[in-house]
Amino acid sequence: MRIGIDVGGTHTDAVLLHGREVVAAHKSLTSANVSDGILEALTRILDAAGIETARIEAVMLGTTQFTNAIVERRELGNVAAIRIALPSGAELPPMMGWPDDVAAALGGHVYMLPGGHLYDGRPLAPFDDTLADAAIRDCQHKHLKTFAVSSAFAPMNPEPELKMAEKIRRAIPDARITLSHEIGRLGILERENAALFNAGLLGFADRVVDSFQAALRTHGLNCPFFISQNDGTLMSAEFVRRFPALTFASGPTNSLRGAAQLTGRQDAIVVDIGGTTTDIGVLQHGFPRQSNQAIEVGGVRTNFRMPDILSIGLGGGSLVQDGGARIGPRSTGYRLLQQGLIFGGDTLTATDIVVADGAARIGNPVLVTSLDRALIERAKQTITDTLNDGIERMKPNSEPVPVILVGGGAVLVTQSIAAASEVLRPQHAHVANAIGAAIAQIGGEADRLVSFKTRTREQARQALTDEAVRRAVNAGADPATIRVVDIEETALGYMNESGARLKVKVVGEIAVLAGKQTQC
Amino acid sequence: MLIQVETLDDLAAGSVFLGTGGGGDPYLNTLIARRILAEHGPVELLPPAELADDAFVVGIGGVGAPSAGLELLPAARQCAHALRQFEAHVGRKVDALVAVEVGGANSLIPIVAAAVRGLPVVDGDGMGRAFPEAQMTTFSIGGIPSTPSVAVDYEGGSELFLQAAALDFERAIRQFALSHGGVVIATEHPMSGSQLKRTIVPGTMTFAIELGRTLRQRSGRAERISPHLREVFAGSIYGEFRHLHSGKIVDVSSRTVGGYDTGRVTIRSFDDAQALEIDIRNEFLVARRDGQLLASVPDLITIVDYETAVPINAERLRYGQRVTVFGIGCPPYYRTERALAAVGPRSFGFDFDYRPLEQLSEGVA
Repeated sequence: MRIGIDVGGTHTDAVLLHGREVVAAHKSLTSANVSDGILEALTRILDAAGIETARIEAVMLGTTQFTNAIVERRELGNVAAIRIALPSGAELPPMMGWPDDVAAALGGHVYMLPGGHLYDGRPLAPFDDTLADAAIRDCQHKHLKTFAVSSAFAPMNPEPELKMAEKIRRAIPDARITLSHEIGRLGILERENAALFNAGLLGFADRVVDSFQAALRTHGLNCPFFISQNDGTLMSAEFVRRFPALTFASGPTNSLRGAAQLTGRQDAIVVDIGGTTTDIGVLQHGFPRQSNQAIEVGGVRTNFRMPDILSIGLGGGSLVQDGGARIGPRSTGYRLLQQGLIFGGDTLTATDIVVADGAARIGNPVLVTSLDRALIERAKQTITDTLNDGIERMKPNSEPVPVILVGGGAVLVTQSIAAASEVLRPQHAHVANAIGAAIAQIGGEADRLVSFKTRTREQARQALTDEAVRRAVNAGADPATIRVVDIEETALGYMNESGARLKVKVVGEIAVLAGKQTQC
Repeated sequence: MLIQVETLDDLAAGSVFLGTGGGGDPYLNTLIARRILAEHGPVELLPPAELADDAFVVGIGGVGAPSAGLELLPAARQCAHALRQFEAHVGRKVDALVAVEVGGANSLIPIVAAAVRGLPVVDGDGMGRAFPEAQMTTFSIGGIPSTPSVAVDYEGGSELFLQAAALDFERAIRQFALSHGGVVIATEHPMSGSQLKRTIVPGTMTFAIELGRTLRQRSGRAERISPHLREVFAGSIYGEFRHLHSGKIVDVSSRTVGGYDTGRVTIRSFDDAQALEIDIRNEFLVARRDGQLLASVPDLITIVDYETAVPINAERLRYGQRVTVFGIGCPPYYRTERALAAVGPRSFGFDFDYRPLEQLSEGVA
């Protein structure tokens, strides 16, 4: 049996799964002390199921805490940003183009050193030991212990980053270091941004993982636990301590994967209606459709893989205005329970409309009996039109598609939706995120520039596949179940014939679920 | 018109659209331009007619590999250095700069160089789109030599090019770029005001800005913003605008032959009924649906994200992307016999003659 937990900004959800079957589920408010909320959720589902903790094979956690830390600029540690690429990039120092407050949250410590490589593998400039040592001394002087190191073409040749890391460790034995080649692909600025975010989150990652582990120990859960990643795969706890930034956007991903699990559908639109917004995503072959766009996190450009999500300002707490012709984007948010008419407040919300219509029984329906019928009808139409429009924008073609409703605001959907071939409202839809976390897989990726001068295309592909498999295994995947899901080959434009950029992505089951031992 | 910090994103977006897959990602140059304009003030965009006949103008832009440019970062200093070296060689200060191609990053580079020096940039370019080689510019086709030209690499190392023939220059500067990190900044096609007026594709910088503004303001599914784009192009030197195809990329094959990124992207329609194939040689060259020609060089073929209509460079196309393909008529200059000899399908090795977009079968309604 597996436990899936999703720690969102508002709610902490937990589910107990036996195979594909939901044995127990619980939804509670996220507590200020996250670990208390997890403890409570665990207590509830274990009590409800009445099973021994020894039967739990693994716990999977999804959390938006790291994304929120960046978005809200909190819990971030000071980082020394060291880039090895001079004379290239002198005019584009690390953190250029960032919102000032995000850069300030990381301390704004920037060091640029000569070194790195060119596209053809030749050194961009010699690595300068004296300058490198001086930078480290300055960091010591400033008591900096966390480092993000990047170098030009590091995904092709990480040697300058590794050399710098070794120097740092020698001088500062307890240093925490993120190397850009470990977290990103080609595109030095985006990769460096990812490394900086990751480094800034390392201290928080320890606190989060520690509190998760403490909560599990309190319940006598000694099984391994995993944290879900932005692409629907999982990472081991120890991996998250090193790469917390890879959790970005895992919430929508889990909601999509959970919807697939609950309905058995592999291709559908998933509409997750919350209190303030509705997130619309697309399932393709059981996985979230990825975005084509460069992804900004907290106003900073990164190259993380993220699901393609359309967020629209419609939720259970959305304000109904203009006699029902306009709903949202303004919302009562978490104050719905005080301000909504059905809760004795004086604000007309989308939830009031469906309760007045008799489509849902929430709060006190008597408080909305006097609502004008024409207003109710117009508001219902506005809700339907807004959702239909959003679904239209996301669906892959002009044909109607199956629509899966998840999230607490699914009650808002009372009419048929033209863009939907059918509307599915699976049981346990309110904990779809936690289910998605519980069923995630483990992936591995390798992305390199390769030369076909020294080895054949086949050899190069094999070497990359091996590397991706190695990464997946390191992240906790069972080697026997790993399969290649994507091979991408990009020749270098305008260049000679003998090189290409190769990317391989593999996915596998969690080793512990396949009955194997894992590293954690 | 003045190019301000606020104008840059629209210029960049419009330039990727007109770049037809080439020209490179303008993001890094936009970051640099933002800082340079904040420091030195806006750049004047000068209509060609306002340029004196005896003014001295030179083109400036990047030459090399967009992929190398992902890691080797651009610098305003490099642009200024190229210009200074060029002026030192010819013994004369330039009066204005001009874009060699209004494509991707190459629209931003003249702005950066001009801001540093307080020079105006002429509103127009030598391609009206992006093409891979120097001899394909309207400047070259119009008989203006590419040289003397100066290229500067990331270390500040420079090289002077004096080849008489455009093809020889193209070979030499490409070799220099290849052996100096993959991307260099070059001044090329020095010319007088009257020569420029005779050969430039006019108004393309302001048009790129207008196009970028439309893409930003109308942001949304490509087929929905088509009518707005059609309207923008109808009033321009391009004219014809067609929605050729929408679908999912099911194959991107690409290899580098003779120094060019040569390949093909296959886009299967969402109902799986039809497949559009686009041949690529750095830029998108020819679009055929189930064997039937829909568009070819020198007309423009542009691929945008299906959901957002954000244009996508050739090196960023990936399996599984949902995209829309537009065909756009080229500036009339390129439809002359002389120009077609340099930029028509046969000059790229295709075995057929150019037929204007509007004479070919329609794309989708």
